[in-house]
Amino acid sequence: MNFDFDLIVRSFPLLLVGAGVTVQITAFSVSLGLLIGMFVGIARLSNTWIIKALAAVYVDFIRGTPLLVQIFLIYFALPIIVGQRIDPFIAAITACSINSGAYVAEIFRGGIQSIDKGQMEAGRSLGMTWGQTMRHIILPQAFKRIIPPLGNEFIAMMKDSSLVSVIGFEELTRRGQLIIARTYGSFEIWLSVAFIYLIMTFTISRLVDYLERRYKIDDRH
Amino acid sequence: MIDIKNVHKHFGKLHVLKGINAHIAEKEVVVIIGPSGSGKSTLLRCINYLEEPTEGEIVVDGIPLTNQANINKVREEVGMVFQRFNLFPHKSVLENIILAPMTVRKTPKSEAIKIAQDLLVKVGLADKEHAYPEQLSGGQQQRVAIARALAMKPKIMLFDEPTSALDPEMVKEVLDVMKSLAHEGMTMVIVTHEMGFAREVGDRVLFMDEGRLVEEGSPEEIFTHAKEERTKSFLSKIL
Ligand SMILES: Nc1ncnc2c1ncn2[C@@H]1O[C@H](COP(=O)(O)OP(=O)(O)OP(=O)(O)O)[C@@H](O)[C@H]1O
Ligand SMILES: [Mg+2]
Repeated sequence: MNFDFDLIVRSFPLLLVGAGVTVQITAFSVSLGLLIGMFVGIARLSNTWIIKALAAVYVDFIRGTPLLVQIFLIYFALPIIVGQRIDPFIAAITACSINSGAYVAEIFRGGIQSIDKGQMEAGRSLGMTWGQTMRHIILPQAFKRIIPPLGNEFIAMMKDSSLVSVIGFEELTRRGQLIIARTYGSFEIWLSVAFIYLIMTFTISRLVDYLERRYKIDDRH
Repeated sequence: MIDIKNVHKHFGKLHVLKGINAHIAEKEVVVIIGPSGSGKSTLLRCINYLEEPTEGEIVVDGIPLTNQANINKVREEVGMVFQRFNLFPHKSVLENIILAPMTVRKTPKSEAIKIAQDLLVKVGLADKEHAYPEQLSGGQQQRVAIARALAMKPKIMLFDEPTSALDPEMVKEVLDVMKSLAHEGMTMVIVTHEMGFAREVGDRVLFMDEGRLVEEGSPEEIFTHAKEERTKSFLSKIL
Protein backbone atom coordinates (compact mmCIF):
# COMPACT_ATOMS: atom_id res chain seq x y z
CA MET A 1 0.00 0.00 0.00
CA ASN A 2 1.41 3.40 -0.81
CA PHE A 3 0.72 6.38 1.35
CA ASP A 4 -0.05 9.47 -0.71
CA PHE A 5 1.29 12.28 1.41
CA ASP A 6 0.79 14.74 -1.39
CA LEU A 7 -2.95 14.05 -1.27
CA ILE A 8 -3.01 15.17 2.32
CA VAL A 9 -1.22 18.38 1.47
CA ARG A 10 -3.56 19.08 -1.40
CA SER A 11 -6.73 18.33 0.55
CA PHE A 12 -5.75 20.12 3.68
CA PRO A 13 -7.07 23.58 2.75
CA LEU A 14 -10.49 22.11 1.91
CA LEU A 15 -10.54 20.12 5.11
CA LEU A 16 -9.68 23.24 7.07
CA VAL A 17 -12.68 25.00 5.58
CA GLY A 18 -14.76 22.07 6.86
CA ALA A 19 -13.10 22.37 10.25
CA GLY A 20 -14.10 26.05 10.33
CA VAL A 21 -17.68 25.03 9.71
CA THR A 22 -17.43 22.44 12.48
CA VAL A 23 -16.20 25.10 14.87
CA GLN A 24 -19.03 27.36 13.82
CA ILE A 25 -21.77 24.81 14.31
CA THR A 26 -20.27 23.73 17.63
CA ALA A 27 -19.99 27.28 18.91
CA PHE A 28 -23.56 28.11 17.89
CA SER A 29 -24.96 24.89 19.32
CA VAL A 30 -23.11 25.12 22.60
CA SER A 31 -24.07 28.78 23.10
CA LEU A 32 -27.72 28.10 22.40
CA GLY A 33 -27.47 24.86 24.38
CA LEU A 34 -26.05 26.82 27.29
CA LEU A 35 -29.01 29.17 27.23
CA ILE A 36 -31.55 26.35 26.90
CA GLY A 37 -29.72 24.28 29.48
CA MET A 38 -29.61 27.06 32.04
CA PHE A 39 -33.37 27.62 31.88
CA VAL A 40 -34.25 23.94 31.72
CA GLY A 41 -31.83 23.13 34.54
CA ILE A 42 -33.48 25.77 36.71
CA ALA A 43 -36.92 24.57 35.60
CA ARG A 44 -36.08 21.08 36.83
CA LEU A 45 -35.71 22.55 40.31
CA SER A 46 -38.96 24.49 40.12
CA ASN A 47 -41.68 24.04 42.71
CA THR A 48 -44.33 24.10 40.01
CA TRP A 49 -44.91 20.50 39.00
CA ILE A 50 -45.91 21.20 35.41
CA ILE A 51 -42.72 23.16 34.69
CA LYS A 52 -40.68 20.49 36.39
CA ALA A 53 -42.43 17.73 34.46
CA LEU A 54 -42.02 19.41 31.07
CA ALA A 55 -38.33 19.96 31.74
CA ALA A 56 -37.91 16.33 32.79
CA VAL A 57 -39.68 15.05 29.67
CA TYR A 58 -37.43 17.14 27.46
CA VAL A 59 -34.24 16.00 29.16
CA ASP A 60 -35.30 12.34 29.23
CA PHE A 61 -36.38 12.36 25.60
CA ILE A 62 -33.16 13.90 24.35
CA ARG A 63 -30.89 11.79 26.49
CA GLY A 64 -32.86 8.65 25.67
CA THR A 65 -32.68 8.92 21.89
CA PRO A 66 -29.68 8.99 19.53
CA LEU A 67 -28.55 12.37 18.22
CA LEU A 68 -28.60 10.90 14.72
CA VAL A 69 -32.32 10.17 15.03
CA GLN A 70 -32.90 13.66 16.46
CA ILE A 71 -31.14 15.18 13.45
CA PHE A 72 -33.38 13.23 11.07
CA LEU A 73 -36.45 14.17 13.08
CA ILE A 74 -35.61 17.86 12.91
CA TYR A 75 -34.50 17.79 9.30
CA PHE A 76 -37.69 16.12 8.17
CA ALA A 77 -40.09 17.60 10.70
CA LEU A 78 -39.07 21.27 10.54
CA PRO A 79 -39.97 21.67 6.83
CA ILE A 80 -43.43 20.32 7.57
CA ILE A 81 -43.86 22.75 10.45
CA VAL A 82 -42.57 25.87 8.66
CA GLY A 83 -43.94 24.82 5.28
CA GLN A 84 -40.77 25.07 3.24
CA ARG A 85 -37.45 23.39 2.65
CA ILE A 86 -34.95 24.39 5.26
CA ASP A 87 -31.27 25.03 5.14
CA PRO A 88 -29.18 22.10 6.46
CA PHE A 89 -27.27 24.66 8.56
CA ILE A 90 -30.44 25.68 10.41
CA ALA A 91 -31.46 22.05 10.86
CA ALA A 92 -28.00 21.09 12.11
CA ILE A 93 -27.81 23.90 14.64
CA THR A 94 -31.38 23.36 15.81
CA ALA A 95 -30.80 19.65 16.39
CA CYS A 96 -27.43 20.09 18.07
CA SER A 97 -28.62 22.94 20.32
CA ILE A 98 -31.66 21.04 21.47
CA ASN A 99 -29.45 18.04 22.11
CA SER A 100 -26.77 19.99 23.92
CA GLY A 101 -29.40 21.85 25.98
CA ALA A 102 -30.53 18.64 27.66
CA TYR A 103 -27.04 17.66 28.73
CA VAL A 104 -26.20 21.19 29.84
CA ALA A 105 -29.46 21.27 31.83
CA GLU A 106 -28.29 18.31 33.88
CA ILE A 107 -24.92 19.99 34.42
CA PHE A 108 -26.62 23.17 35.63
CA ARG A 109 -28.99 21.25 37.86
CA GLY A 110 -26.09 19.46 39.50
CA GLY A 111 -24.16 22.71 39.89
CA ILE A 112 -27.09 24.52 41.47
CA GLN A 113 -27.80 21.64 43.83
CA SER A 114 -24.17 21.60 44.92
CA ILE A 115 -24.51 25.12 46.38
CA ASP A 116 -25.23 25.13 50.10
CA LYS A 117 -28.93 25.54 50.92
CA GLY A 118 -28.01 28.30 53.36
CA GLN A 119 -27.17 30.56 50.40
CA MET A 120 -30.74 30.52 49.09
CA GLU A 121 -32.07 30.96 52.63
CA ALA A 122 -29.78 33.91 53.28
CA GLY A 123 -30.93 35.57 50.05
CA ARG A 124 -34.60 34.94 50.74
CA SER A 125 -34.30 36.08 54.35
CA LEU A 126 -32.98 39.41 53.07
CA GLY A 127 -36.17 39.89 51.10
CA MET A 128 -34.76 38.98 47.70
CA THR A 129 -37.04 36.95 45.46
CA TRP A 130 -36.20 33.43 44.36
CA GLY A 131 -35.19 34.78 40.95
CA GLN A 132 -32.98 37.54 42.35
CA THR A 133 -31.24 35.10 44.65
CA MET A 134 -30.75 32.65 41.80
CA ARG A 135 -29.27 35.33 39.60
CA HIS A 136 -27.02 37.14 42.08
CA ILE A 137 -26.09 34.40 44.51
CA ILE A 138 -26.62 30.86 43.27
CA LEU A 139 -25.82 30.95 39.55
CA PRO A 140 -22.51 32.84 39.80
CA GLN A 141 -21.26 30.28 42.31
CA ALA A 142 -22.67 27.32 40.42
CA PHE A 143 -21.22 28.53 37.14
CA LYS A 144 -17.67 28.41 38.43
CA ARG A 145 -18.13 24.82 39.54
CA ILE A 146 -19.54 23.61 36.25
CA ILE A 147 -16.82 24.93 33.97
CA PRO A 148 -15.10 21.51 33.70
CA PRO A 149 -18.26 19.53 32.80
CA LEU A 150 -19.31 22.30 30.42
CA GLY A 151 -15.93 21.99 28.75
CA ASN A 152 -16.49 18.27 28.33
CA GLU A 153 -19.88 18.97 26.82
CA PHE A 154 -18.26 21.40 24.39
CA ILE A 155 -15.79 18.73 23.30
CA ALA A 156 -18.47 16.07 23.03
CA MET A 157 -20.59 18.39 20.90
CA MET A 158 -17.69 19.09 18.60
CA LYS A 159 -17.21 15.39 17.96
CA ASP A 160 -20.92 14.63 17.73
CA SER A 161 -21.42 17.43 15.22
CA SER A 162 -19.86 15.07 12.68
CA LEU A 163 -23.27 13.38 12.61
CA VAL A 164 -24.82 16.31 10.75
CA SER A 165 -22.86 15.14 7.72
CA VAL A 166 -25.77 12.74 7.12
CA ILE A 167 -28.04 15.58 6.06
CA GLY A 168 -25.42 16.79 3.63
CA PHE A 169 -24.13 19.61 5.75
CA GLU A 170 -20.54 20.24 4.76
CA GLU A 171 -18.63 20.26 7.97
CA LEU A 172 -15.30 18.52 8.48
CA THR A 173 -16.48 14.91 8.23
CA ARG A 174 -18.66 15.56 5.19
CA ARG A 175 -15.76 17.36 3.47
CA GLY A 176 -13.63 14.31 4.07
CA GLN A 177 -16.26 12.04 2.54
CA LEU A 178 -16.56 14.25 -0.51
CA ILE A 179 -12.81 14.34 -1.09
CA ILE A 180 -12.60 10.58 -0.74
CA ALA A 181 -15.40 10.15 -3.26
CA ARG A 182 -13.23 12.00 -5.76
CA THR A 183 -9.77 10.69 -4.88
CA TYR A 184 -10.31 7.25 -3.21
CA GLY A 185 -7.69 8.18 -0.62
CA SER A 186 -9.69 6.87 2.36
CA PHE A 187 -6.81 6.24 4.68
CA GLU A 188 -4.99 9.52 4.11
CA ILE A 189 -8.11 11.63 4.36
CA TRP A 190 -9.63 9.96 7.44
CA LEU A 191 -6.27 10.21 9.13
CA SER A 192 -6.17 13.93 8.38
CA VAL A 193 -9.75 14.39 9.54
CA ALA A 194 -9.01 12.60 12.81
CA PHE A 195 -5.90 14.70 13.29
CA ILE A 196 -7.80 17.95 12.81
CA TYR A 197 -10.52 16.90 15.28
CA LEU A 198 -7.82 16.00 17.77
CA ILE A 199 -6.13 19.37 17.46
CA MET A 200 -9.44 21.17 17.97
CA THR A 201 -10.61 19.16 20.97
CA PHE A 202 -7.16 19.35 22.53
CA THR A 203 -7.20 23.13 22.18
CA ILE A 204 -10.58 23.37 23.84
CA SER A 205 -9.56 21.17 26.73
CA ARG A 206 -6.45 23.34 27.30
CA LEU A 207 -8.65 26.41 27.24
CA VAL A 208 -11.01 24.91 29.80
CA ASP A 209 -8.10 23.96 32.03
CA TYR A 210 -6.87 27.52 31.85
CA LEU A 211 -10.29 28.98 32.73
CA GLU A 212 -10.64 26.57 35.61
CA ARG A 213 -7.25 27.49 37.01
CA ARG A 214 -7.92 31.18 36.63
CA TYR A 215 -11.17 30.89 38.55
CA LYS A 216 -9.50 28.84 41.26
CA ILE A 217 -6.83 31.41 41.93
CA ASP A 218 -9.22 34.31 41.60
CA ASP A 219 -12.11 32.65 43.44
CA ARG A 220 -14.29 35.73 43.33
CA HIS A 221 -16.13 38.00 40.96
CA MET B 1 -45.08 43.12 66.79
CA ILE B 2 -45.07 39.35 66.20
CA ASP B 3 -48.21 37.33 66.81
CA ILE B 4 -47.90 33.57 66.73
CA LYS B 5 -51.26 31.84 66.90
CA ASN B 6 -51.62 28.10 67.33
CA VAL B 7 -48.77 27.28 64.95
CA HIS B 8 -48.20 23.66 64.00
CA LYS B 9 -45.46 22.34 61.76
CA HIS B 10 -45.14 18.86 60.34
CA PHE B 11 -42.21 17.49 58.38
CA GLY B 12 -43.94 14.53 56.78
CA LYS B 13 -45.00 12.42 59.73
CA LEU B 14 -42.82 14.31 62.18
CA HIS B 15 -44.87 16.74 64.26
CA VAL B 16 -42.27 19.37 65.14
CA LEU B 17 -44.35 22.30 66.41
CA LYS B 18 -47.46 21.39 68.38
CA GLY B 19 -49.57 24.50 68.73
CA ILE B 20 -47.31 27.41 69.61
CA ASN B 21 -48.90 30.62 70.90
CA ALA B 22 -46.71 33.63 71.61
CA HIS B 23 -46.68 37.37 71.32
CA ILE B 24 -43.55 39.41 70.98
CA ALA B 25 -43.80 43.11 71.63
CA GLU B 26 -41.95 45.94 69.96
CA LYS B 27 -38.41 46.46 71.34
CA GLU B 28 -38.64 43.23 73.27
CA VAL B 29 -35.66 40.86 73.40
CA VAL B 30 -36.93 37.32 73.60
CA VAL B 31 -34.61 34.38 74.14
CA ILE B 32 -35.70 30.87 73.16
CA ILE B 33 -34.02 27.98 74.92
CA GLY B 34 -34.65 24.24 74.91
CA PRO B 35 -33.09 20.87 74.14
CA SER B 36 -31.85 19.93 70.69
CA GLY B 37 -34.67 18.97 68.34
CA SER B 38 -37.33 20.76 70.38
CA GLY B 39 -38.26 22.95 67.42
CA LYS B 40 -36.53 26.24 68.27
CA SER B 41 -35.04 26.78 64.82
CA THR B 42 -38.24 25.70 63.13
CA LEU B 43 -40.27 28.24 65.11
CA LEU B 44 -37.79 30.99 64.28
CA ARG B 45 -37.83 30.04 60.61
CA CYS B 46 -41.61 30.15 60.58
CA ILE B 47 -41.50 33.81 61.58
CA ASN B 48 -39.94 34.81 58.24
CA TYR B 49 -41.53 31.92 56.41
CA LEU B 50 -38.38 30.01 55.55
CA GLU B 51 -40.64 27.24 56.85
CA GLU B 52 -44.33 27.30 56.16
CA PRO B 53 -46.50 26.43 59.16
CA THR B 54 -48.85 23.56 58.42
CA GLU B 55 -51.47 25.13 60.64
CA GLY B 56 -52.03 28.36 62.52
CA GLU B 57 -51.15 31.95 61.74
CA ILE B 58 -48.25 34.33 62.16
CA VAL B 59 -48.70 38.08 61.86
CA VAL B 60 -45.58 40.21 61.72
CA ASP B 61 -45.86 43.98 62.15
CA GLY B 62 -49.50 43.78 61.16
CA ILE B 63 -48.73 41.86 57.96
CA PRO B 64 -50.34 38.40 57.84
CA LEU B 65 -48.22 35.82 56.04
CA THR B 66 -50.77 34.82 53.46
CA ASN B 67 -49.29 35.27 50.01
CA GLN B 68 -45.92 35.58 48.35
CA ALA B 69 -46.04 39.39 48.18
CA ASN B 70 -46.69 39.59 51.90
CA ILE B 71 -43.98 37.05 52.60
CA ASN B 72 -41.42 39.15 50.77
CA LYS B 73 -42.64 42.26 52.55
CA VAL B 74 -42.22 40.57 55.91
CA ARG B 75 -38.75 39.39 54.96
CA GLU B 76 -37.77 42.99 54.23
CA GLU B 77 -38.74 43.88 57.78
CA VAL B 78 -37.21 40.84 59.46
CA GLY B 79 -33.46 40.24 59.44
CA MET B 80 -32.05 36.80 60.14
CA VAL B 81 -28.65 35.68 61.35
CA PHE B 82 -27.72 32.03 60.91
CA GLN B 83 -25.56 29.69 62.90
CA ARG B 84 -23.28 29.15 59.91
CA PHE B 85 -23.22 32.82 58.78
CA ASN B 86 -24.22 32.03 55.17
CA LEU B 87 -22.24 34.93 53.74
CA PHE B 88 -21.99 35.01 49.95
CA PRO B 89 -18.46 33.68 49.34
CA HIS B 90 -18.10 35.16 45.85
CA LYS B 91 -18.77 38.69 47.06
CA SER B 92 -16.66 41.02 49.14
CA VAL B 93 -17.81 42.17 52.56
CA LEU B 94 -19.14 45.40 51.11
CA GLU B 95 -20.89 43.61 48.23
CA ASN B 96 -22.48 41.20 50.69
CA ILE B 97 -24.01 44.10 52.54
CA ILE B 98 -25.17 46.31 49.65
CA LEU B 99 -26.73 43.56 47.51
CA ALA B 100 -30.13 43.32 49.19
CA PRO B 101 -30.68 47.07 49.70
CA MET B 102 -29.87 47.61 46.02
CA THR B 103 -31.92 44.76 44.57
CA VAL B 104 -34.86 44.81 46.99
CA ARG B 105 -35.13 48.39 48.21
CA LYS B 106 -33.64 49.88 45.03
CA THR B 107 -31.30 51.98 47.13
CA PRO B 108 -28.79 53.83 44.89
CA LYS B 109 -25.36 52.24 45.05
CA SER B 110 -23.58 55.22 46.60
CA GLU B 111 -26.15 55.41 49.35
CA ALA B 112 -26.03 51.66 49.94
CA ILE B 113 -22.26 51.83 50.27
CA LYS B 114 -22.56 54.66 52.78
CA ILE B 115 -25.01 52.61 54.86
CA ALA B 116 -22.75 49.57 54.62
CA GLN B 117 -19.67 51.50 55.73
CA ASP B 118 -21.51 52.93 58.72
CA LEU B 119 -22.66 49.45 59.70
CA LEU B 120 -19.14 48.09 59.36
CA VAL B 121 -17.93 50.76 61.76
CA LYS B 122 -20.69 49.75 64.11
CA VAL B 123 -19.70 46.06 64.10
CA GLY B 124 -16.02 46.98 64.34
CA LEU B 125 -14.94 45.90 60.87
CA ALA B 126 -14.41 49.21 59.10
CA ASP B 127 -11.09 48.01 57.67
CA LYS B 128 -12.54 44.84 56.14
CA GLU B 129 -14.88 46.16 53.50
CA HIS B 130 -12.83 44.79 50.61
CA ALA B 131 -12.03 41.44 52.23
CA TYR B 132 -13.75 38.24 51.16
CA PRO B 133 -15.58 36.03 53.65
CA GLU B 134 -12.98 33.25 53.52
CA GLN B 135 -10.35 35.74 54.67
CA LEU B 136 -12.24 36.49 57.89
CA SER B 137 -12.44 34.65 61.19
CA GLY B 138 -15.75 33.12 62.24
CA GLY B 139 -16.49 35.96 64.61
CA GLN B 140 -15.78 38.53 61.94
CA GLN B 141 -17.94 36.68 59.43
CA GLN B 142 -20.84 36.61 61.84
CA ARG B 143 -20.50 40.32 62.48
CA VAL B 144 -20.60 40.93 58.72
CA ALA B 145 -23.71 38.76 58.56
CA ILE B 146 -25.32 40.93 61.23
CA ALA B 147 -24.35 44.08 59.31
CA ARG B 148 -25.78 42.52 56.13
CA ALA B 149 -29.11 41.92 57.83
CA LEU B 150 -29.14 45.40 59.38
CA ALA B 151 -28.55 47.05 56.01
CA MET B 152 -32.17 46.30 55.15
CA LYS B 153 -33.15 48.41 58.16
CA PRO B 154 -35.27 45.64 59.63
CA LYS B 155 -37.68 46.18 62.51
CA ILE B 156 -37.04 42.71 63.87
CA MET B 157 -33.91 40.57 64.05
CA LEU B 158 -33.93 36.79 64.36
CA PHE B 159 -30.81 34.99 65.59
CA ASP B 160 -30.48 31.20 65.34
CA GLU B 161 -27.61 30.14 67.60
CA PRO B 162 -25.38 32.92 66.26
CA THR B 163 -22.38 31.90 68.36
CA SER B 164 -22.63 28.11 68.27
CA ALA B 165 -20.26 27.71 65.35
CA LEU B 166 -17.63 30.03 66.83
CA ASP B 167 -14.43 29.37 68.70
CA PRO B 168 -14.90 30.40 72.33
CA GLU B 169 -12.65 33.44 72.09
CA MET B 170 -14.87 34.91 69.35
CA VAL B 171 -18.19 34.52 71.08
CA LYS B 172 -17.90 37.75 73.01
CA GLU B 173 -17.31 40.02 70.02
CA VAL B 174 -20.55 38.79 68.46
CA LEU B 175 -22.55 38.96 71.66
CA ASP B 176 -21.32 42.52 72.22
CA VAL B 177 -22.71 43.59 68.85
CA MET B 178 -26.02 41.94 69.72
CA LYS B 179 -26.05 43.63 73.09
CA SER B 180 -25.62 47.07 71.58
CA LEU B 181 -28.46 46.30 69.16
CA ALA B 182 -30.68 45.36 72.07
CA HIS B 183 -29.80 48.60 73.84
CA GLU B 184 -30.78 50.57 70.76
CA GLY B 185 -34.25 49.09 71.04
CA MET B 186 -34.21 46.48 68.28
CA THR B 187 -36.90 43.83 68.57
CA MET B 188 -34.98 40.57 68.77
CA VAL B 189 -35.78 36.86 68.92
CA ILE B 190 -32.72 34.83 69.81
CA VAL B 191 -32.17 31.10 70.00
CA THR B 192 -29.05 30.56 72.06
CA HIS B 193 -27.27 28.39 74.58
CA GLU B 194 -25.48 31.42 76.03
CA MET B 195 -27.35 31.58 79.31
CA GLY B 196 -25.28 34.43 80.72
CA PHE B 197 -26.20 36.51 77.71
CA ALA B 198 -29.87 35.51 77.97
CA ARG B 199 -29.92 36.63 81.57
CA GLU B 200 -28.22 39.92 80.90
CA VAL B 201 -29.97 41.00 77.71
CA GLY B 202 -33.23 39.05 77.56
CA ASP B 203 -36.52 40.63 78.58
CA ARG B 204 -38.25 37.28 78.43
CA VAL B 205 -37.18 33.65 78.10
CA LEU B 206 -39.24 30.98 76.37
CA PHE B 207 -38.48 27.36 77.14
CA MET B 208 -39.44 24.87 74.44
CA ASP B 209 -39.52 21.10 74.63
CA GLU B 210 -40.84 18.57 72.13
CA GLY B 211 -42.55 21.18 69.99
CA ARG B 212 -44.37 22.89 72.84
CA LEU B 213 -43.83 26.13 74.69
CA VAL B 214 -43.45 24.70 78.15
CA GLU B 215 -42.76 27.79 80.19
CA GLU B 216 -42.01 31.46 79.81
CA GLY B 217 -41.03 34.30 82.07
CA SER B 218 -38.36 36.82 82.87
CA PRO B 219 -34.80 35.46 82.90
CA GLU B 220 -34.90 35.70 86.68
CA GLU B 221 -38.07 33.60 86.91
CA ILE B 222 -36.88 30.96 84.48
CA PHE B 223 -33.30 30.59 85.63
CA THR B 224 -33.89 30.67 89.37
CA HIS B 225 -37.54 29.83 90.02
CA ALA B 226 -38.60 27.62 87.14
CA LYS B 227 -41.96 26.01 87.86
CA GLU B 228 -41.96 23.18 85.35
CA GLU B 229 -40.03 20.01 86.04
CA ARG B 230 -38.81 19.81 82.43
CA THR B 231 -37.42 23.33 82.57
CA LYS B 232 -35.59 22.60 85.80
CA SER B 233 -34.07 19.40 84.50
CA PHE B 234 -32.97 21.08 81.27
CA LEU B 235 -31.39 23.98 83.12
CA SER B 236 -29.65 21.71 85.61
CA LYS B 237 -27.93 20.00 82.68
CA ILE B 238 -26.60 23.15 81.07
CA LEU B 239 -26.02 25.65 83.85
N1 LIG C 1 -36.32 20.37 56.80
C1 LIG C 1 -36.57 19.39 57.68
N2 LIG C 1 -37.04 18.21 57.26
C2 LIG C 1 -37.33 17.22 58.14
N3 LIG C 1 -37.18 17.33 59.45
C3 LIG C 1 -36.72 18.48 59.95
C4 LIG C 1 -36.38 19.58 59.08
N4 LIG C 1 -35.95 20.60 59.84
C5 LIG C 1 -35.99 20.18 61.11
N5 LIG C 1 -36.45 18.91 61.19
C6 LIG C 1 -36.68 18.14 62.41
O1 LIG C 1 -37.51 18.87 63.25
C7 LIG C 1 -37.11 18.74 64.60
C8 LIG C 1 -36.89 20.08 65.21
O2 LIG C 1 -35.79 20.69 64.57
P1 LIG C 1 -35.22 22.11 64.96
O3 LIG C 1 -34.06 22.35 64.06
O4 LIG C 1 -36.32 23.10 64.96
O5 LIG C 1 -34.75 21.87 66.45
P2 LIG C 1 -33.88 22.82 67.37
O6 LIG C 1 -34.64 23.00 68.61
O7 LIG C 1 -33.48 24.03 66.63
O8 LIG C 1 -32.61 21.91 67.66
P3 LIG C 1 -31.06 22.34 67.78
O9 LIG C 1 -30.85 22.87 69.15
O10 LIG C 1 -30.34 21.05 67.58
O11 LIG C 1 -30.77 23.33 66.70
C9 LIG C 1 -35.89 17.83 64.60
O12 LIG C 1 -36.29 16.55 64.92
C10 LIG C 1 -35.40 17.91 63.19
O13 LIG C 1 -34.78 16.71 62.82
MG1 LIG D 1 -31.64 24.79 65.83
